[in-house]
Amino acid sequence: MKLIRTKEENLKENYLELHYDKMDDETSAVLDRLRDTLRYVEGTSGDKKVTIALTDIYYVETVDRKTFAYAKDACIEIKEALRDVLEEYSGAGFARISKSAVVNIYKIKKLQGDVNMRVIIYLKNDEKLIMNRSYKNEFYERLNKLQGRKTK
Amino acid sequence: MKLINKKNFVSIVCIFFTLITCGKLLSERLAGFTDRYYSDNIFTILGFSVLITLVLSVHYYLQKFPFLIVLLVQYAVTVGIVFLAIWIHGQFSVHAPTAYWDMFYSITIPFLGGAIVYYVCFFYQIRKANAILRNLQEESD
Repeated sequence: MKLIRTKEENLKENYLELHYDKMDDETSAVLDRLRDTLRYVEGTSGDKKVTIALTDIYYVETVDRKTFAYAKDACIEIKEALRDVLEEYSGAGFARISKSAVVNIYKIKKLQGDVNMRVIIYLKNDEKLIMNRSYKNEFYERLNKLQGRKTK
Repeated sequence: MKLINKKNFVSIVCIFFTLITCGKLLSERLAGFTDRYYSDNIFTILGFSVLITLVLSVHYYLQKFPFLIVLLVQYAVTVGIVFLAIWIHGQFSVHAPTAYWDMFYSITIPFLGGAIVYYVCFFYQIRKANAILRNLQEESD
């Protein structure tokens, strides 16, 4: 399978176009991975129904038994429980960081440790999250898996 | 993940016991020292190994608390238990005048060493994770 990248000036939105004669295993595998990342999440903000691209979500958090997904300029309440979010979207780079939060690894700017061995997660939108020590190993495993996937 | 559980508790005690005993014998051989209280000290090492394994096994349940506080409380509890054991032992037989100091060093040095190793591993993991994050970012840009 060939990959052609074309840079186009003033494009409103990036797009991918697939040209094929027969759907082979390699192409199906690529599509499966894309399906994970090019998904949309439905939720509500006030009374309005809102849809956010999965890749725009920075983190998902549970507050008072309600699940909220946070994007750069929006916060929506979603139906899925945190466990479901992790099961469904872990392929898109989501990893658990505490009992009540799941973060999108691709939205992390950097990690920093403090004296109490907590990991502070700096997101690209300048928000800070705290990773619980008990979820540290799970998070690093997830990160290593993502790296392995990229280098394959 | 719980590393020490009911199934492997005894095995871990045995590993600690073997390592400490080998260390003791090796240092005595190098220093040309003969331990007059060999059997007493072997049982002390066994008790110490059980205590270390217990301290490490409860660490899993304390992960939601700040690490520094957990470390200090675990250290204080361990010192307390060992000092109590020395005091009880002293009621039945005579022990060396430096017994408390000796045991204090025997606890403090492994605790300090363990804490340093833990801290170094912790910050090394973060450095490695930041490198992976930078790679992922570069690839997606």
